[in-house]
Amino acid sequence: MTSSVLPSAHSSREYLFVRPGMTAREIVQAVRSLPGACFTSVSMRDSGQSDFKNRHRIHDLKTLAPLYNTLGLFSAECHGGARWHVGIMNRRESPFEEIRLLRTLMPDVLLQTLIRETNLWGYRPYPRNVIEYAVSNVDIDVWRCFSFLNDVRNMRAVAEMVMKRGRLFEPAISFTVADWATDAYYLRVVHDIVALCGGVDEIILCIKDMAGVGNPARIGQLVAAIKHHYPDLVIHYHRHVTDGLAVPALFAAVRAGAKIVDVQEDALVRFYGHPPILGVHAYFEEGGVHVHLNRRAAELANEKVREWIGHYEWAESPFKGYDHGVTRHRMPGGAFPSSFEQAEKGGFLHLMPAILRMMAIYNQIVRYFDVTPGSQITWVTCSGIVNRYAKERGEAGVRQLIALLTRFVEEHGQNLATMNESEQEELLQLFRNAPGDFKSLLVGHYGKLPVGWPADWVYQSAFGDEWESRIQERSDLSPLDALKDDDLDTLRQNLTEALGRAPTEEEFILYLMHPKDALNFIEFREKYGMAPLVLPTDVWRYGLRHTGQKVDFELDGKPYCIELVSIGAEHDGLIYVVIKVNNVTRVYPVATPRARKAEIRLARRPNDVGAPINGNVWRIGNPRRGPIAVGDVVHKGEEIANLEAMKMENAVLAPFNGRIAEICVRLNEIVQEGQLLFVLEKA
Amino acid sequence: MQRTIRKVLVANRGVPAVRIMHTCRDRKIPTTAVYSTPDRLAYHVFMADTAIHIGEAPPIESYLNDDKMIEAALRSNSNAIHPGWGFLAENADFAQKVIDAGLIWIGPSPEVMRLMGDKIQAKEMARQSNVPTIPGIENAASAEQIIDWMRSEGIRFPIMIKAAAGGGGKGMVKVEHADQITMALAQARSEAKKAFNDDTVLVEKYIEHGRHIEVQVVADEHRHVVHLFERECTLQRRNQKIIEEAPSTLEDDLRHEICVTAARLMRRIGYTSAGTVEFLFEPATQSFYFLEVNTRLQVEHGITELITGLDIVGLMLDVAEGKPLPIKQSDVVPNRWALEVRLNAEDPRTFNPSFGTITHLRAPLGPNVRVILGASEGEDIPPYYDSLFMLLMASGADRADALRVLDRAISGNLRLEGVKTLAPLLLSIVRHPKFIAGDFSTNFIEEHLPELVSGFRERTGEDEMLRVAQYVAEISALGPQNWM
Repeated sequence: MTSSVLPSAHSSREYLFVRPGMTAREIVQAVRSLPGACFTSVSMRDSGQSDFKNRHRIHDLKTLAPLYNTLGLFSAECHGGARWHVGIMNRRESPFEEIRLLRTLMPDVLLQTLIRETNLWGYRPYPRNVIEYAVSNVDIDVWRCFSFLNDVRNMRAVAEMVMKRGRLFEPAISFTVADWATDAYYLRVVHDIVALCGGVDEIILCIKDMAGVGNPARIGQLVAAIKHHYPDLVIHYHRHVTDGLAVPALFAAVRAGAKIVDVQEDALVRFYGHPPILGVHAYFEEGGVHVHLNRRAAELANEKVREWIGHYEWAESPFKGYDHGVTRHRMPGGAFPSSFEQAEKGGFLHLMPAILRMMAIYNQIVRYFDVTPGSQITWVTCSGIVNRYAKERGEAGVRQLIALLTRFVEEHGQNLATMNESEQEELLQLFRNAPGDFKSLLVGHYGKLPVGWPADWVYQSAFGDEWESRIQERSDLSPLDALKDDDLDTLRQNLTEALGRAPTEEEFILYLMHPKDALNFIEFREKYGMAPLVLPTDVWRYGLRHTGQKVDFELDGKPYCIELVSIGAEHDGLIYVVIKVNNVTRVYPVATPRARKAEIRLARRPNDVGAPINGNVWRIGNPRRGPIAVGDVVHKGEEIANLEAMKMENAVLAPFNGRIAEICVRLNEIVQEGQLLFVLEKA
Repeated sequence: MQRTIRKVLVANRGVPAVRIMHTCRDRKIPTTAVYSTPDRLAYHVFMADTAIHIGEAPPIESYLNDDKMIEAALRSNSNAIHPGWGFLAENADFAQKVIDAGLIWIGPSPEVMRLMGDKIQAKEMARQSNVPTIPGIENAASAEQIIDWMRSEGIRFPIMIKAAAGGGGKGMVKVEHADQITMALAQARSEAKKAFNDDTVLVEKYIEHGRHIEVQVVADEHRHVVHLFERECTLQRRNQKIIEEAPSTLEDDLRHEICVTAARLMRRIGYTSAGTVEFLFEPATQSFYFLEVNTRLQVEHGITELITGLDIVGLMLDVAEGKPLPIKQSDVVPNRWALEVRLNAEDPRTFNPSFGTITHLRAPLGPNVRVILGASEGEDIPPYYDSLFMLLMASGADRADALRVLDRAISGNLRLEGVKTLAPLLLSIVRHPKFIAGDFSTNFIEEHLPELVSGFRERTGEDEMLRVAQYVAEISALGPQNWM
């Protein structure tokens, strides 16, 4: 443990200037009065999202926490974004567990989440009551909130709840570079934000450059413009490194008046993440900007990362290297790895250059910010179009499409009437197979677009003959005003039924965000317990690979050890694994995907009659009328079968008057509880 | 007449077979096990000196087949048969056939078994011996008859329909409303027919909040009748006992009265060997009613052994050899408290049977714990037989002490995997304030089930460890998964 080597880096509280429990106003005041600049570390969230598909496990990330506790950070972003969803889907960790763990290991650090206004930690707009319920039940200090439409109205529910709880609200403006994205445009957004939050004393403003497209001059200019109008507003600059210009851009922002910038350990930096903490520190200091940082602890954290980062090579993006082309296609850092993962799995990695080009053009036709859920809509729409062309017309067809669109946008100024007839026809088919989310966006389900709705031809293309009526129904309302509240009691009841027990608050919130994945997660954890939290990453991913290999872990303060004895050959879809668990040999039959699954039909529908217990169907029918056959009419409460188990008889009664439509078991068959015995039809 | 038992055929399986073999081994008497096809590798077979296959899985072809049983005894050179409990244990015809085959029957005489086996006659016998009995009618054949009786005697629901030849909860149905009578009657008769090959049933008033008290008696051919005090078997689910204790919480004068009454009845009917007189105790009136005589060794005999220091199976062997009992009434001095829980392979929430393989089994150890195992690790619990596979007993200086031991035994190092067992429910009961206070009746489990279930401990450290191990085993075999 490094702690015994260098206690000073751990025990020091001298760098603390903000801590959990302070009011939002106190935090803002502390940042304002801090000389120079300070950092937010995004290593525990966005860093992993941008370059490692959100696969960094809390088991590894938590090794940084004791160091972070002395680092002098403004905050640690450790929560939100896609980390939440990937956590329950792929890492099988709950965001609530992560918070609890980090609170214990770095009690003095402000924990920060990232939320997507009404979409919170999911991908669709949630109604106000779900937002309020979720926000009020998550123990986070700094709530960074962005809107992919820069529609500040959509932030209202979150802002109110966060500020009511006395936590710090950090509204973000989504930043891009485009002819319409002027200082005046952003100042209007900031104006709306300041109005929403009742001034500048209880918020920190984030400029969220999620693709990494802001060149130093542009960023410096924007920060200066905002500071000019709102001198007391604390500005926090968030930027990805994709274009290769991140370090000077951060410096430009700070020189112009930003107080906080986002960084991560140097050893974590790949191509789509965030600037390196030690490098930024050195560059700022050399340029005369003091950084509030325990540099020694930051160096130790960097060394700590090297101990485990090698376990995640498999999760890194296959698309290596910086990409200054991001300034055209604008795919955000957070979306890079998942997009490339999809392309690789879908076998269309070779189409990526065309898809990125398509995205660059699309951005000029439908104007919003490529960040969740916008980035997903852009990605699915554009990759879908390119894939369709590739399938129907080959790579030549894709080239022709790109040429056509380039001509349309660059030469014809998107004026459909000036294109020839066959070109018009093709454009009017462009979005016909676009995903539902794209079509929802066009009719206003996510809120209004930042600089106006797309041209009519886009609607014609997407909706065909119905295009005019869809424009008619298009809404400018915020989803907060348009969406009806969900019935939380009913949802909780649904979850209770699905689990067969009352859910915890945390399980319920997971379910509100991602119903299907939350159920899978809960089921996984009921089966495998704390495995995702206690196993080291190589064992988590590969298991034990050779005889005698051991894994030591702790549960509730007690040591345990699992040692591999042998793994058998597959036979009949089963592999026998022999392991010693705390020195006791145990044999685990593991079913492989080829295992023959005995299909058992369960009684699920109202007309199904299931077995009340495990047992032997020793009688179908009853003594008075004898055996029952398909087609027979039975009466409510009449015994229609009898199961015997351990010498006790259990009558199966007809639930209503009806006719036997199907008998699903044979006489003397041994059945499981819940197994389908009869299907009835109403007489 | 003195006889010598040279070798005992144990006409049973599981827990009772193993229990009998323990005493036989103490006495250096060799044993023969019998087994049905699915029991070929069962623990009781392993425990015996020799073993004989007696047929296929259905009991009627194996453990209930009297001719095969006698043939097996002769073939294995056994000269005595102990029937254990269940199966043929209370079958007087079988006992007679054993005797007729020239073998020693380790149990009461067939005549007494027949007399007490008929509940109607047994009740009549009790009445003649001045033992109080529950109001009821015999040989109930129709719903109308039952309703007429209720009207004439002023009996209210609930009532109980029981197999005349019954025991062990089979063929017993409680009826709450008049419109359930027909179906309950049919069910009781059918179960009775199946379990005892006799569908005669009787109907009785149901004693509310009754407590089930039974007196253990041993008697020899020399007219010695000794009671070994009483047991409390009030805690039942589906009319089957799951927790028993000795002694009961009765006051000493009532204890004396009930024990002496039982011994008087047994002496009157000429009972020999070990047997039990069951009573239902009504707290409201402080009266007890005769229920039945169990003409066999009972599951819960072990707690009586714990409080008296006697070996009841050993006494049965003595009596079967024609010896006088080695003890007098004044020698029987209970000096501690004991409880027993039955570990059945069943779902502790629904009581549905849970068949399957016992993948892991660790019996509890430590001071004052007694365990009788009817199966070993790796064994299957087959669906054809009773779900009991383990008895767990605890003793102590007094009830509170014994309860502490029992809690430790269940929660501390008992480990059962692969099948569901009653263990969580049993632990919940043992920790329930009303049970601890001795304030319970036969309805206790029904009345408190949701509360008891909510007390189930969901996870222990060991469960958590095994969940992690399960994951490691699967990933080691299958490698990285798509969902990762």
